[in-house]
Amino acid sequence: MRTFPAILVLLCLCVPMAAWSQVNNELITQASHNDTERAEQADPLNSPVWHYLRARFLGESPYQFDDRVVVSVPPFAEDPTQVPLLVDVSAIDEPLLRLVVWADLNPIQHIYSVESADRHLPRIAIRFKVQQATPVRAAVLTESGKWLVGGQYLEAAGGGCTAPSMANASPYWESHLGEIESRSFERAMNSGRSSQRYKVKIIHPMDTGLVSGIPEFYIQQLEVRRPDQAAILSMELSQPVSENPVFTFDMSSASVTAQDRYKLWMRDNNGNVFEQAL
Amino acid sequence: MAIKQAAGRFLGVICCLFWVSTVATASSLSYELTPRLIAKDTWLLQGKLEDFSRDNGANIVNTAFIVTSEGVVVIDSGPSKRYAQAFRSAIASVTDQPVTDVFITHHHPDHFLGNQAFSDVNIWALPTTGRLIAEQGNVFAENMYRLAGDWMRGTEVLMPNKPLEQTAMTIGDHRFRFLSLEGHTGADLAILDETTGTLFAGDLVFYQRALTTPHTPGIDQWLTDLDKLAALEVALIVPGHGPVDAKGKSIEQMRAYLVWLDKTLTQAAFEGLSMNEVMKIPTEPEFADIALTQYEFIRTVFHLYAGYEEAAF
Repeated sequence: MRTFPAILVLLCLCVPMAAWSQVNNELITQASHNDTERAEQADPLNSPVWHYLRARFLGESPYQFDDRVVVSVPPFAEDPTQVPLLVDVSAIDEPLLRLVVWADLNPIQHIYSVESADRHLPRIAIRFKVQQATPVRAAVLTESGKWLVGGQYLEAAGGGCTAPSMANASPYWESHLGEIESRSFERAMNSGRSSQRYKVKIIHPMDTGLVSGIPEFYIQQLEVRRPDQAAILSMELSQPVSENPVFTFDMSSASVTAQDRYKLWMRDNNGNVFEQAL
Repeated sequence: MAIKQAAGRFLGVICCLFWVSTVATASSLSYELTPRLIAKDTWLLQGKLEDFSRDNGANIVNTAFIVTSEGVVVIDSGPSKRYAQAFRSAIASVTDQPVTDVFITHHHPDHFLGNQAFSDVNIWALPTTGRLIAEQGNVFAENMYRLAGDWMRGTEVLMPNKPLEQTAMTIGDHRFRFLSLEGHTGADLAILDETTGTLFAGDLVFYQRALTTPHTPGIDQWLTDLDKLAALEVALIVPGHGPVDAKGKSIEQMRAYLVWLDKTLTQAAFEGLSMNEVMKIPTEPEFADIALTQYEFIRTVFHLYAGYEEAAF
């Protein structure tokens, strides 16, 4: 007897869901008709927003899922405010114009984009905030104009984007904003080439703007510059990058020469500039 | 047509799910707690060597009770209201003595979320543990509903009602000694029943189940605490998780793992490894028999590696 009303409720729910799925299917069909050349590949992570975000971040350019775009995240986000994310595209042996990294189901999806002057993208590790379980993506644009896409599913209880930063509870950051620590390490790469690893930490709240009464306040730009000020690496960062960010870059020996003394340059959305010799 | 079929299939799936869930609810969630006598007057309810889940109802923790001549003393109230109600029935199955005192070893949810079933008696905890439950208890409870589901129904945070400032207490024919330590959560109570020589170590000691680190003040502190426990005259150690230990092997296992952890994280930080790379370091073969080691190692890297990185800049 008690199950009867429950089934009615479920029936009511099903009708609008079926209608919604029809609309969605039509949208997808239209999107794929716009580009008949592109072979539609099914999203291996089966994300509800893949087509929307693909159009937003990659435009209508051709793309392909590719295992050489390695996105490494832990199996679960134990701390949703500091999820380590490593992207490695070193297995792709052609010039790379741009890398875009995002999390499908974050309220602010974009995490960072990066370009390199010599078209060799370093292996990059950062930490980011996650609001709920989500696919995490990296897409890299090759010289031939095609995007290669990698991804990994991240399990999470979430809440990382709407938790106040630690800085909000402690005045420590006010007198230490922009303090940078950095260190370099020799690394051997899989290919036998050696590389230089730079690890950098900067004190910054990286407020997302999603916490009531705390406006967004985050580092937007990061560059690694040569002594002549030319940028060899340019990153655009978004709000999900974690508080007090730690960046790890593996610059291949092709882009590092012994006499180079690189400088790190950053600017936040309030116009503060932070610089440090690496 | 295709859409109609899909909708039909969808409805079928929903109805099946509904039917399954009705059946699952009908078979009641039962903890099946069976007390085991481990020392004179001393009974153990041993949890599984698992992580919280909807299958185990979060019964992964060891709770215990001591039947004294003036009432029953309970060590930790368990992970849920339902658990603690079963706990009280289990106590009643072996003694007619009333429960008089509950001691909460620390503020983690599997150790105190059963307090509601003991609202009629003294619930003792270190003052700092009380403060930590007030600060973090509700967040823990919410997370436990997510992890264990319906087993948690009706569970709410009930604060301990007696701040424990004594270092010893006599209850009936048992003499208890209290050690206020910090290694696991910043406020960890170890209880030695001097009458039987049984040490209730709380989560300062895990045995055959990997230790957890979300609130540890640091590995150094934890090792210092273990030295204090190892110096006690003890006949039997009851760890917070895992089997009882009469030979002190649990403390040795803890020490070996914590020392390895400290060495591994220090070395990784000085080599400049990123968190992702550290999480992929395999744990030593000597820890292979410890349940959940690789899983807890990943969690520990989340909790502690940033501190090691900081020291290596």
